[in-house]
Amino acid sequence: MAGNFWKSSHYQQWIVDKQDLVRERQEDLKYLTEEEYTKVQIFFANFIQVLGEQHKLRQQVIATATVYFKRFYARNSLKSIDPFLLAPTCIFLASKVEEFGVISANRLAGSCTNVIKNKFGYAYSQDYPYHSKHILECEFYLLENLDCCLIVYQPYRPLLLLIQDIGQEEQLQTLTWRIINDSLRTDVSLLYPPHQIAIGALQIACVILQKELKHWFAELNVDMEKIQEIARAIVNLFELWKGFDEKKEIAGLLDKIPKAKPNPPVTAR
Amino acid sequence: MSKSSYKKYEKISFLGEGQFAMVYKAKNLETGEIVAVKKIKLGSREDARDGINRTALREIKLLQELSHENVIGLLDVFGHKSNVSLVFELVDTDLEIIIKDQKIVLTQANIKSYLIQTLKGLEYLHRSWIMHRDLKPNNLLICANGVLKIADFGLAKFYASPTRINTHQVVTRWYRAPELLFGSRHYATGVDIWAVGCILAELLLRVPFLPGDSDLNQLDKIFSVFGTPSEEIWPGVKLLPDYIQFRPYPAIPLKEIFTACSDDLIDVADKMFSLYPLKRCTASEALKMPYFSNRPPPTEGSKLPMPTKQQEEEPPSKPNLKRKLLDQINDAVPGKKRLQF
Repeated sequence: MAGNFWKSSHYQQWIVDKQDLVRERQEDLKYLTEEEYTKVQIFFANFIQVLGEQHKLRQQVIATATVYFKRFYARNSLKSIDPFLLAPTCIFLASKVEEFGVISANRLAGSCTNVIKNKFGYAYSQDYPYHSKHILECEFYLLENLDCCLIVYQPYRPLLLLIQDIGQEEQLQTLTWRIINDSLRTDVSLLYPPHQIAIGALQIACVILQKELKHWFAELNVDMEKIQEIARAIVNLFELWKGFDEKKEIAGLLDKIPKAKPNPPVTAR
Repeated sequence: MSKSSYKKYEKISFLGEGQFAMVYKAKNLETGEIVAVKKIKLGSREDARDGINRTALREIKLLQELSHENVIGLLDVFGHKSNVSLVFELVDTDLEIIIKDQKIVLTQANIKSYLIQTLKGLEYLHRSWIMHRDLKPNNLLICANGVLKIADFGLAKFYASPTRINTHQVVTRWYRAPELLFGSRHYATGVDIWAVGCILAELLLRVPFLPGDSDLNQLDKIFSVFGTPSEEIWPGVKLLPDYIQFRPYPAIPLKEIFTACSDDLIDVADKMFSLYPLKRCTASEALKMPYFSNRPPPTEGSKLPMPTKQQEEEPPSKPNLKRKLLDQINDAVPGKKRLQF
């Protein structure tokens, strides 16, 4: 995206404090452990990714949708709106904001039904209960809860600039890109500016590929402590993910979440 | 911005109507603040299926990121189902009303003030990588204290990606740059500068400068003033998608059209009206031209003219018919009944 990040709504309103995030999450942590909460977030990030790919969305749009999803639940409990409804709504709104063109809410609800039946049956045994009218209704609650902040800066563009500076490193770029995708399953997009996330992901990629770029990193004018925090968060995710048998566990975790009312509440906040 | 509900605002009066929206004067019942509420029209059933109106969404998305004295401020957004309303600071009038008001004399200093403010707002937008794409006098709002604010971002968009294809069906025809009329899809901020040129000319003439009645006639009007472009003065013009050969017109020096106008202002107009988009000045370049630092200095905001009071006190002498009819409908609402959105 364009514009000045430091003056953006993303930086000024949506880089939140870790403590605030933890406090807002207390409601959900009554019935889920922190680890379980993360697993639920992993699951829905996957769900959004698959749904986005069904509609051939660019990664930028999928990433924006995922960040909308995370921003919404950063302020609301998982039981306020069923995440199975919010996920397609995030895609619906993001594709309009990113000028991808409108995906019809009807088709979106249809592909939710299919994707759940074909790929996520282990998580959701019933038929998908929502229709286009639910998505349309939910869209406004989402917009409202985002405080109308729609432009999300992603780490992909900073990554391309960094790679250019390092010199063409295709393997490094591809791997870092994928790590950035994975980072959408953590809280880093709520806590750190995107260029720092790109650097954090790059650092992990260097370790995996055993690339020696110490000098290059040393010359970056960036708060290294933050980079370490980001890298740690992503590595922690990988650890958790490795031991997470989604097929076995997720249905049980979702059952623990008190059911959202079929209609979204009038004011979610 | 989130605790809003559609019950928070009380309609006071109808202000105007655009292609996509109706605008009302309203009161925030919590703070007493008087605001302008832009209620997006509910389109066809097909539109309703698309959820929140895309034009409104574009405006919300961009205005949320912007903050500049010469750009309209978005205060709130509220909605009822998919029917969205945007709440703006209430601005007293617009440049179209001022230009059309026969009682107002626009001095050189006044015109300079409007131009500077327009260009400063536009410079900020372009620096934020946003093209407005629909500049015209009635999108330039004027506060009682003389501050000009660029409004109506329903067509605005980021132009970050040079490879991204744009639609050429933007900008109200009279203010449309020639490259748009020739169907260019890779235009840039120059289209806004051309529009500012047209507004500048309109401030001088007090009537629209190039009032074409069709796209072809618009080009004809442009070329009859600025000359028919050749490959020499506009490289690549013949390759534009909708290019057609026009009869050869010679260029008329602007000095002959704007006879009363100072040379330094003619220089600015010349730069804004370059047919070749890449030779057109940018907002920043324009602001650095001698005209803006030469005498006379721009009129202080509070001393800029305002139209004779209208609507509430006495009806305007010649309101446009639609506005008038709708006013009557609005007035017909009995007493001080609370109208809600």
